[in-house]
Amino acid sequence: MNSLDRRRFLTRAVLGTATTVVTASALGAVSPEVAIAEPAFEVEPGGIDPNFAEGRITGIKGALLMVSGSDGVLHQIQLTSGTSVWKLRPATIDAAAVGDGLYARGVRLPDGTLAADAVWLNIVNLQVNITSIGKDVLHLDHNGNLIVGHVVAGTTATVYNGTPAVTDLSLLQVGKHVQVLGAWRPDTNEVDLATVFAAA
Amino acid sequence: MMQWLAGAQPVLVGGVLAWAGAIKVFGRSAELAARRSALRRLVGTGRVFAVYRAVGGVELAVATLLVLPPAHPAKGIAALVLAVGMVGYLGYARFAAPESSCGCLGEKHTPVRTRSFARAGVLVLASGTAMFAMDWWPVPFLDRPLATVGLLAAEAALVVVLSPELDGVWLVPLRRLRLRISHPLAGRPFEIPLESTVQQLHRSAAYRAVADQLRSDLLDSWDEGEWRMLTYSTGPATAVFAVPRLKYDPAQVKVVLVDEEVLV
Repeated sequence: MNSLDRRRFLTRAVLGTATTVVTASALGAVSPEVAIAEPAFEVEPGGIDPNFAEGRITGIKGALLMVSGSDGVLHQIQLTSGTSVWKLRPATIDAAAVGDGLYARGVRLPDGTLAADAVWLNIVNLQVNITSIGKDVLHLDHNGNLIVGHVVAGTTATVYNGTPAVTDLSLLQVGKHVQVLGAWRPDTNEVDLATVFAAA
Repeated sequence: MMQWLAGAQPVLVGGVLAWAGAIKVFGRSAELAARRSALRRLVGTGRVFAVYRAVGGVELAVATLLVLPPAHPAKGIAALVLAVGMVGYLGYARFAAPESSCGCLGEKHTPVRTRSFARAGVLVLASGTAMFAMDWWPVPFLDRPLATVGLLAAEAALVVVLSPELDGVWLVPLRRLRLRISHPLAGRPFEIPLESTVQQLHRSAAYRAVADQLRSDLLDSWDEGEWRMLTYSTGPATAVFAVPRLKYDPAQVKVVLVDEEVLV
């Protein structure tokens, strides 16, 4: 099934216009037991989470990413069709490039490979101060270092005072603190902005 | 000409030193500024405030000497020693404690960068020139009042521009004014960002019902009329959410789990 057919099928499944959605399981009631259950978290405080990996991509073989961690550990990360890839926006494995920074979460297989459920490429989360605003660009001060934040049309969103995200960036002010989520451009001081959290 | 230039410099150097010293000795949050500065790394936390105050005292003393008669090369030399020491301190701060504050001309936290070095360089030049002053500084003022005021104003402006501590006083208001006249990011087309839809999804009962089964982050999204579709993986199945795109109504969010086997 190609991606267009897949989208069409899934749309029919959820909106209920399909005549027979044989495989769609019905949604049960919201059970309080699930909501208040203790999350299964087996990592000791301060211990290494085996189901998480971090580093820079040093090689790509099909759907297998070779990653060199910042602590010197080498990881092999296997992606599948069920793996979500984020690179400024939801993307596919084709978006991964050698040199990209990466965080991955998944399940560690017996051979040491991490079967990834989710991969975030070049994601950064920064507390910064806006020093100037230009056309499609924010200059940000991060502990005295300049970071250039690029506004990406159709993607960059702003959350003002915790209200729903909007694409309007015209309430951003010079001299104010903001938190930005974005995608780093490897080996530069530039990021593409995904979400800017600001007070207005 | 050279004499006139040299004669005016003690005013600039004295003014900057008086400002720096006063902030260290009389500043309301001088103790905090001292603890944030690279001096803490140099002399230790216990002594940092005493040393910071002492440096301020020396700066005030040299500033007073510079502006009091008579003119003497030793005063310029004292200022030069302070300015060169300043460059050395900045170099230490830049490489030994890059995230700590300069603590130089203000209480604002300002890590040492190029501008601080440039400012210290200006002070080295001015102090070096001041060594050659033969007359007390009011003499050049009386000789060429307008030119002297203009020169000192330009030099003072240069020091202010090179002081990151003072950006909040002139640079930020200027940039704010520019934004009020026309904001470069205004007038962009209105769209509903994906982030907004995801936020709405997170607040829906449908999401809470299946959230503990979701394994991946957002896999794919597309628009279908007034709905926006978001898909997540649960491992064996794909969770498909339909979220109202143009309104905020989390109660309307629909979800269905589709077995991956029928999608192949």
